[in-house]
Amino acid sequence: MTTALEPALSVRQVLALERVLAGEPEVVAGAGQLDRPVRWVHVAEAADVGVMLSGGEMVLTTGVLLAGDPEAQAEYIRSLHRAEASAVVLGLGRAFPTPPEVMRRAAERCGLPMIVLHRPFPFAELTEEVQSRLVRRKFAAVSLSESVRTALTGLITAGAPLQRMLDEIASHSACPVVVTNLAHRVLATAGERSAVDDVLRDWERIARQAGGSEGDGWVRAELGGRGERWGRIVLCGYRGDAATGRLLADRGAEALVLHRMLGGTVHSWEEQSAESLLTDLVSGVVPARQLLPRARAAGLPVNRRTFVPLVVRDAEAAQLDRVLRLLGLPGLVAELADGVIAVLLSLARDQDAEALAAHFATRLRTEAGGGAADACKAAVVAAADARTGWDDVPAGLREARHVADAVAESPAGLDLPVVVRLRDVHLRGLVRLLRDDPHVQSFAERELDGLLCGADAESELLPVLRTYLATGRNKSRTAQLHHVSRPALYRRLEAIEARLRVDLDDFEQAASVHIALLAHDAQQG
Amino acid sequence: MSRVIRAAVFQTAWTGDKESMIQVHEQAARDAAAQGAQVLCFQELFYGPYFCQVQDKAFYEYAEQIPEGPIVQRFQALARELGIVLVLPMYEEEQPGVLYNTAAVIDADGSYLGKYRKHHIPQVEGFWEKFYFRPGNAGWPIFDTAVGKIGVYICYDRHFPEGWRALGLAGAEIVFNPSATSRGLSAYLWQLEQPAAAVANEYFVGAINRVGVEELGSNDFYGTSYFVDPEAQFVGEVASDKETELVVRDLDMAKLRAVRDRWQFYRDRRPEAYEPLTAP
Repeated sequence: MTTALEPALSVRQVLALERVLAGEPEVVAGAGQLDRPVRWVHVAEAADVGVMLSGGEMVLTTGVLLAGDPEAQAEYIRSLHRAEASAVVLGLGRAFPTPPEVMRRAAERCGLPMIVLHRPFPFAELTEEVQSRLVRRKFAAVSLSESVRTALTGLITAGAPLQRMLDEIASHSACPVVVTNLAHRVLATAGERSAVDDVLRDWERIARQAGGSEGDGWVRAELGGRGERWGRIVLCGYRGDAATGRLLADRGAEALVLHRMLGGTVHSWEEQSAESLLTDLVSGVVPARQLLPRARAAGLPVNRRTFVPLVVRDAEAAQLDRVLRLLGLPGLVAELADGVIAVLLSLARDQDAEALAAHFATRLRTEAGGGAADACKAAVVAAADARTGWDDVPAGLREARHVADAVAESPAGLDLPVVVRLRDVHLRGLVRLLRDDPHVQSFAERELDGLLCGADAESELLPVLRTYLATGRNKSRTAQLHHVSRPALYRRLEAIEARLRVDLDDFEQAASVHIALLAHDAQQG
Repeated sequence: MSRVIRAAVFQTAWTGDKESMIQVHEQAARDAAAQGAQVLCFQELFYGPYFCQVQDKAFYEYAEQIPEGPIVQRFQALARELGIVLVLPMYEEEQPGVLYNTAAVIDADGSYLGKYRKHHIPQVEGFWEKFYFRPGNAGWPIFDTAVGKIGVYICYDRHFPEGWRALGLAGAEIVFNPSATSRGLSAYLWQLEQPAAAVANEYFVGAINRVGVEELGSNDFYGTSYFVDPEAQFVGEVASDKETELVVRDLDMAKLRAVRDRWQFYRDRRPEAYEPLTAP
């Protein structure tokens, strides 16, 4: 597809056309310049043809006005050279039965390809042939440009995500396509997975090179608007011709700029990129090892590092990202679910992971002040133990998530450290980890069956039971919290005991119900 | 095991007053130290706005004596407490009416090591520095700190290769380039000149630029501070172009040696042929 989009034929290609071959062309000068592009073919029998040209023309002449005047012949060639003509074709015949040596030498000196045609040949045929080919090519380029633009505009108006836009661009370029921000962080990629991975594997070397080194077929276009640049799109190893690559990159850039300006998305591309990476990591759908090139390209240092998985509830990703920057801590931040933010810190091996996690959590609290940041005052930072192996990171993130969830389910006012770990959430942490286990699920159902089966009863009795157990079976506190009199509370506790067929004064039975209730709540969360 | 220097630079926005600006930088020093950074350089004229957007004598007040002034002393105490080398780009008053754009260097034990005075003073729209500063006259000092040999080359200096070379010849391993430079003016040079200097002189460069638009003018300071190694590779990511950011990076001095073993620029230079360059 792409070779048909050369903006022009080369001199060599013109000479190889069947109709031209019939004229028995012979290159007599400038043989080293035959790859010059021919933008147009022009027939001219004028001594001052140079002034009529604008560059890139192949000029056809019989030289009828030049015969017998060597000075005019040499000047004719020089004027073509000055006008940046791509070649001159001289039809041998009445004016010049043999190639004129003066013209040949002049052409050789200025590197202008000079071709003579040994057989009489109607120039009109050549112009028609070349012109129609050139027009077809131009049309194809315009047509590609239009079709790419139409497709991308369609996606924008349909509200397609960035990834879908890139996929479309990659389907035209047939090579990996990468979008980066100004810090060279990879925000999104598209193209065949293995080819993309190859590019990302080497990304650090490529991207960190100041000034941007590019191999063959690396086509970049800047992304920006309103006088500000904010990233670039790169076609990595585009195999078609340069003009088409440029066209695709430019159309892509144009569309991405519009997409960003009109997108109205609440998440920046940086956030979306981190989000897809951390979500993939947590889900375990893609093995961690395969995500390593993406993590590296997203700017996370991964060699000889310690990873600290954190999950922060009731915070905003942008705020956490800001605090990471303030502290100079390398890490990725992404919203896993509504109000649940994962933070993956990457520390040098000699750094104290626990101390820096605490430092982060403390600063998160102090930096929160006013507006949306108020939320961060109450934010809970949950952590899993630091991981030195990348493969262990997904489990770490899941553990941190469990801890964060367990804290969220805990009664308010619990005296928790600034960074909460599994050991701080005790039984809730364990129950949280085991919540998907079918044995635990059936245990919870079995224990609470009497309360869960009647919907009306549950709405009243279950909260009472929850408070009673959470307060350490403190009846007056429970009555107070539920705004009921003590006799009323006794009646409800009796009802609960009757329905569950347990004695809540018996420690083991009460503990069993408590664990079942925690498990039940964990499954709901 | 090769020597690795954990180095930091800090970019931030003008807070609106000098004291809170100083506090932000004190906190940054603590944050850097918490990460084990051994050396930290602040942005040009770190505790003030970039007042050279206007020409107003009122800003002479920002100058103070180095090292006798209160800010140097305050940060000497902090350096001692944290065990970190600090590079403080400041407005210096040698005596009333004799003012310089200077950086003071404090060692990790709090001792004052000396100062560098910016040599090249611009006078262009939004950067009216000749109004405020005499050109530097204190040579090309290299500071032999607890962590390594450090040079400073301030802002506009960076456009002049001679100073970079002088610092290299004096043995610099890291040269800090604290700056205040705006998007429209220099963004196209920012990732070109310092990496080129790092390559030409075979040392690490830490480039710092403030962020934000301040009340004194329309200069849009674009941050993007970074460290670059002697192969022109950025060490880690380049910082944000809008946000306050502490950049902490491990600089492996083995790379400096490897590059110098590969390219013998210091051996092959021809100072005797450069006489025309020093003709006034």
